[in-house]
Amino acid sequence: MYLYLPVALTSINILIPVGLGLAVGLLSGLFGVGGGFLMTPLLIMFGIPSTVAAATDSNQIVAASTSGTYAHWKVGNVDFKMGLYLLLGGFLGGLVGVQGIKVLKAMGNADFVIKMTYVLMLGIVGSYMLVESIMSMKKKPSVAESKQQKESGMAKFLKSLPLQTHFEKSGVTHSALVPVILGGFVGILAAIMGVGGGFLMVPVMVYILRMPMHVVVGTSLFQILFTCIEVTFLQAYTNHSVDFILAVLLLLGSTIGAQVGAVFGRKLKGEQLKILLALIVLVVTIKIIFELTLSPSLLISQAGGH
Amino acid sequence: MKKFKIQSPKFEITVFLAFAFFVLHFTFDRTAAAELTAKANHDHIQIDFFYHGSTVSVKGVADAGTDLVIKITSPEGHQVLKKKGKVGGLLWMNVGDLKFEHAPNFYSVYSTGKLEDILSPEEMDKYTIGYSSLKNHVEVTPVTGDEEKTAWFNEFLKFKEASSLYAMSSNKISTTPLDNGRQEYYIMTDWPYQATPGDYLVTVYAVKNKKVVEQAETKVNVEQVGMVKSLAGMARNNGVLYGALSVLAALSAGFGVGLIFRKGGGAH
Repeated sequence: MYLYLPVALTSINILIPVGLGLAVGLLSGLFGVGGGFLMTPLLIMFGIPSTVAAATDSNQIVAASTSGTYAHWKVGNVDFKMGLYLLLGGFLGGLVGVQGIKVLKAMGNADFVIKMTYVLMLGIVGSYMLVESIMSMKKKPSVAESKQQKESGMAKFLKSLPLQTHFEKSGVTHSALVPVILGGFVGILAAIMGVGGGFLMVPVMVYILRMPMHVVVGTSLFQILFTCIEVTFLQAYTNHSVDFILAVLLLLGSTIGAQVGAVFGRKLKGEQLKILLALIVLVVTIKIIFELTLSPSLLISQAGGH
Repeated sequence: MKKFKIQSPKFEITVFLAFAFFVLHFTFDRTAAAELTAKANHDHIQIDFFYHGSTVSVKGVADAGTDLVIKITSPEGHQVLKKKGKVGGLLWMNVGDLKFEHAPNFYSVYSTGKLEDILSPEEMDKYTIGYSSLKNHVEVTPVTGDEEKTAWFNEFLKFKEASSLYAMSSNKISTTPLDNGRQEYYIMTDWPYQATPGDYLVTVYAVKNKKVVEQAETKVNVEQVGMVKSLAGMARNNGVLYGALSVLAALSAGFGVGLIFRKGGGAH
């Protein structure tokens, strides 16, 4: 059955957005990512204008991450304190990032810098996570040892910072400055790349903040929820590009997908989750590299979006 | 008001004459003035939630021995599109904007023969019939010369044809000879759902000896109705309320599904 989308000004088979929502919602509940890096290009592929695709996806993520945060919160996997510090940083970083884009645009070839940053970030994060999780799965007994070795330099520096505070849910102690600064860093990059940044935030929480994987997923979703509320509202207000009907179709699938993902996630080990996420990030990287190098069928596209 | 009063009787006369002509046309077929006529069926297309495109048929009567060209266009406008190019000889990415001036968003031409065979280039340019005359008509910036303009215009055509907004066909019009030296023509076209709301002009040209000898016009109106119209209107005119509602709906849907799953999946 087809439904007409009043803002996208196009008609779509309802099975497409519901199915996409289900698949991306599942990833969201499993890994704590928004999934914009998958959803937006897929929507564009199905004929949705790029600006509407990006804005409507953020509206859908509000629903999926509410559903996912709720599921993870029930089993005590959301560190609200850490989430709020990261959010604060992310908000400040977003402001800086938006200025950064203006500077890039003024310098010319902004698209090149943005695309390259995106590919490099995805590639580095994906490869690092993959290698690290495989290594630590192989050498189970020596995990504690190697961790202590790695921590020594970084941990000393982190411990020397002022405003040390304990994060109960995650079982870690950090300076309050650390999540704010890291959140800010992710916020800058996310704003420049035009994505939510979940795929960057998850590794930051795992590898630098040393939080347990299951708490990372819940906390990341909590954080994404607020970012996407802000983005949805701004997009609706300034660009009029949120398609409510498309968002409803997407969230029909994604809210359920997020619940299923959260249940699935509890059955998997942290390392397994990391490997799966790393593989997905790498597949997306390869897809973007292909898009950049193969001759496109159309040399002209609608203005707006990346 | 005054102006209206003066025009009103004129208008009535026109309507009466049109009606009289219509009646005469059918009752005294043989004696009716030889004139090209055009009428679009389904000329008011309504977009509701279940809209997935429509069909539009155009029919009328023309002199026998004339070729026919039917052109359907949206009003001309200004379109800005992104162009892709190779960066560093290897990577494809957006390399800037292209502006297309005087280009309709929708343009389709149907004819009873190949355009080049039935019309001279001058006539095609005069009435903007066919892609090559549209190319002469449309301004593309920034381009360095004619060659680059042609290349980008061809890409523009590909882009438009990919979303069914531009079309060209020379075998869809059917004609039936009438016994009064006239012929009836008929065409049924698929109306793409990608065509945005607005007024579309249908122009029928009767062509003889490579020249347009007569033309007639009719209109197709595409309009959003009901909830589709109110949602689109709210998104455009009341962004704050629309944004707030979108966020609220998403929050409650997410929360609602969470509650359902808690009840259903009691094991966790």
